[in-house]
Amino acid sequence: MKLSSTKVRFVGFVSAAALITGVLVSIPVAANAAPACDGKSPVQSCAGVTSDGAPYSMMVPANFNGTVALYSHGYRYNVDIPAGIPIVGGYKITNTPEPVPGGNMTVAGYLFSQGVAIIGSGFARQGWNLDSALATNVELIDTFKKQFPTTKKVVAWGSSLGGAITQALAETHPELVSAVAPMCMADTSVNAELTMAGDFLWGVKTLFDPTIKGGNYSAGAAGNGEAITDIVKVLTVMGQLQAGVSSGAWPTTSSATGKALAAGGVPSRSALLLLGLMAGLPTQSAHFDSLSGPAGALKLTFPLAVSPALAILENGTNAAILAILATQDVELQAGGAIFDNTKTDYSARIVNEKVIYNAALSGNTVINALLGALSAANPGAPRAVGNAAAIAKMNALQHNTGKINVPTILMVGVADPITPAGASQLVVDKYAEQYAAEKVAAFKAAKVNGFVPVRNKLLMLWNQTSGKGYTTFDSTTGSPITSTPAAQGTNHCNFTTSQLLMVAKTLVSAGQTGELPRGGALVTAVRKAGSLAIDPLFRAPLLKYYNEQS
Amino acid sequence: MKAMNRRKLFTVCATIAVASLAVTAIPAQAAEVGVSSSEIKLGMTLPMTGTASPGYNKIPGAVKAYFDYVNANGGINGRKLTLVVKDDQYVPTLAVAKTNELILKDKVMALLAPLGTANNKAVASVVNPGARGIPTLFVNTGFSGFADKKKYPTTFSLLPSYIMEAKIMAEYIKDNFAGKKLGLLYQDDDFGDDALAGFKQAGLNFDVKVAYASGSQGDKVSPAQWVTKLQAGGAEVVILFGVSSATAAALGTASVMKFAPQWILGSVGGDATTIKASGVPAGVLYNAVGASFAPATTDTADEYVKLFQEIYLKANPTETFDNNVMVGMNTAFLTAQALKAAGTNPTRKSLIAAIEKSGKNFASAALVPLNYSTTSHVGYNGYWFGKYSPTGDLKPAGGVYTVYTTDSGNGAVVKSTYKRPAMPAKGLPN
Repeated sequence: MKLSSTKVRFVGFVSAAALITGVLVSIPVAANAAPACDGKSPVQSCAGVTSDGAPYSMMVPANFNGTVALYSHGYRYNVDIPAGIPIVGGYKITNTPEPVPGGNMTVAGYLFSQGVAIIGSGFARQGWNLDSALATNVELIDTFKKQFPTTKKVVAWGSSLGGAITQALAETHPELVSAVAPMCMADTSVNAELTMAGDFLWGVKTLFDPTIKGGNYSAGAAGNGEAITDIVKVLTVMGQLQAGVSSGAWPTTSSATGKALAAGGVPSRSALLLLGLMAGLPTQSAHFDSLSGPAGALKLTFPLAVSPALAILENGTNAAILAILATQDVELQAGGAIFDNTKTDYSARIVNEKVIYNAALSGNTVINALLGALSAANPGAPRAVGNAAAIAKMNALQHNTGKINVPTILMVGVADPITPAGASQLVVDKYAEQYAAEKVAAFKAAKVNGFVPVRNKLLMLWNQTSGKGYTTFDSTTGSPITSTPAAQGTNHCNFTTSQLLMVAKTLVSAGQTGELPRGGALVTAVRKAGSLAIDPLFRAPLLKYYNEQS
Repeated sequence: MKAMNRRKLFTVCATIAVASLAVTAIPAQAAEVGVSSSEIKLGMTLPMTGTASPGYNKIPGAVKAYFDYVNANGGINGRKLTLVVKDDQYVPTLAVAKTNELILKDKVMALLAPLGTANNKAVASVVNPGARGIPTLFVNTGFSGFADKKKYPTTFSLLPSYIMEAKIMAEYIKDNFAGKKLGLLYQDDDFGDDALAGFKQAGLNFDVKVAYASGSQGDKVSPAQWVTKLQAGGAEVVILFGVSSATAAALGTASVMKFAPQWILGSVGGDATTIKASGVPAGVLYNAVGASFAPATTDTADEYVKLFQEIYLKANPTETFDNNVMVGMNTAFLTAQALKAAGTNPTRKSLIAAIEKSGKNFASAALVPLNYSTTSHVGYNGYWFGKYSPTGDLKPAGGVYTVYTTDSGNGAVVKSTYKRPAMPAKGLPN
């Protein structure tokens, strides 16, 4: 379908800045020594370094009530990125400690006002660091307790990979934490996360620029250079796709397979959308809701045929950058190529999506042409072959089981493109089984010891997108506006201070009482936080990786 | 005795535990969602605006007219029926958002006649009324998959499936247009795929097939391309198996391009009012073949047509009583019976059970039977064929309804012997 009007002119890419985190304090001390504290009031700051070299920060209010909140920051790239590269350029590897989300002082101030101390580490290594971060946190808790012997309760929270680190702490050391709040949590499996991003990147390479390396990077500086080159190429492709969203034009770098599709009348926006759908990326992004259209001729056509592709453009850009940098990092840890799609059936991945987005995909004829082009049978679309030993080593990295040992609060945006809501859904599903089994066990135990009720230990907070739509359009040109802040429920770990405060309050309360809020109090708290839903029947789709596992 | 006590203890404790979980998640409901002492609230999503809306946007008015009639006659066990309508513009993502609104904000008891194959599939996979136990009554699509009770446990089909329609249509073509070059215009999605499956099942081959992407009928270029392809393929008989707006676009463009094959219109897009309202001259429709499972809307000798027309025109005096209205009112009529059969205090569960148990015996304006049971959520299963009159009204050939029925599998197409039961008194549920 050709668009009769060229009103879609410019789409700004979203920033991945949410991955990069803030600074609160930095006092250099020797590794494994007692922390150095400034003794100030009303909040004293302490700093130190754990035995593995991870710097940490402690901030303890004068009215410390014995509860400390341990925060784990999210994924930080493990490679310096030259300035001048859009979105991520100028990043330098940092292990600056981060004891509250994004250095949010309103949240810190609230916790201090309640007599709660905050601590956090910058971790010893960046990149995918679940194993080392877990060890760091265990040591940090011990160090804090020694420094502040009146400590009674430790609660833990974290964002993104930090959410997974927090969950890992609760799973492996439930004796150390009273409650946890993994937010926008990375999937329990690094393989699942990198499969999502890797599938999209492979598709971009296969159709739009076959010179993208997309994995199997060299070691050392050469590998860093290859990764940076890939980022530049991906951004170039995305820019050309953006320019061709109305006309359907393909990037000049497209592969022979891509060019054949273009010659057959397949619009590039449909190809881009299909790549996003098969990878499992959300079709709502920071500025594109797939619901709204500008006034006039495109009112219906825009949400039906264009907006989903633009949402993938926004979300996919970040996913592709993650795919490149995280793949390179995990390959270094695993010793070889870790992405393998030789057995992936992309057709099976989009059974529902090809119906829902049929118009945007330009109908079944185009869909079948695209799936044929991407099939393993097409020599023009060579699959990525992983290194079996490296994949085994990757799978041996710390991964979570989803077991809930202590009161747990999960919060995630339903359209988070980096750590999809499905990662939290997996834990919800596993807990449903666990909870049912615990109730049966309680019944059996009741015959001997009397009945002890099983308490619900999981609260799932879905940060929703607006059902009314949120894409805005220039009233004169009809072009979508992308300079506004990312909509609620979209982007990575995009939470308001109100939402973070709600989690903080609930976390501290659960840590102290052992119980999660419920009933009217919960409903009121959720309403006040804004945009959150606690609908137990809402289901986020699991990451596509699990298609191949079932 | 001890075991009994333990069982009781467990039941109590388990109930408390489950209740605790539920309370954590949602506030307790005093009664069934959408059912109060005075009202039963139902929700509908369909295109009220946008390219695909013409014709279908009359359905809510038809349903409301019948509900008002029921309400004026005491309602269902004293409860009035209320319909909340949401405009999804035939955009699946909007259907999801609007259905969420109906369920979470408007708190309807059931979804009623949501329209469109893609939209219903989107809602099923994202909102998942099936897992929530929310009845989705009489979906306004003939996609055969919605009768799959395992996959869509709370969904009830109503329209004969597109596979059935294609199979029956194929028989009609073989009988009446043997040897002619055949053309087909179809929607390039599951709606169209169902039709293709039916034609294939019936062994009907086309000389030229044109697929259109949903929404493309709204642009200036596509319909001319369709007609050019059909014309170039030498089609003498052309089946238009699309939505009303696509059917109208094809007929209107063909008229301009002086392409005048024998048209056969599928039931989805064959509403004459909509086609005429789109600017297609009535003469273009003349002698086109159409299909319906309900009596002709001009057949005022039919007791249902007579009553429904009377009710509808009283509520909507400036509107035309057409096939979309007829189907909408019949859907409302079935809904009222289902709610009545669901008991004095209907629940979502009892509503589903009532249709499964009694649905096949519900009174209905249709000339084909309903097929509901505990194992089947299939609604109607047949069609009669007729031709459009010079004024654009679909009438049965020779004034006699010859109805054919079949299934969505490999069953034969057979001439129906179904005798429609008499309408209950005043057209109200017994």
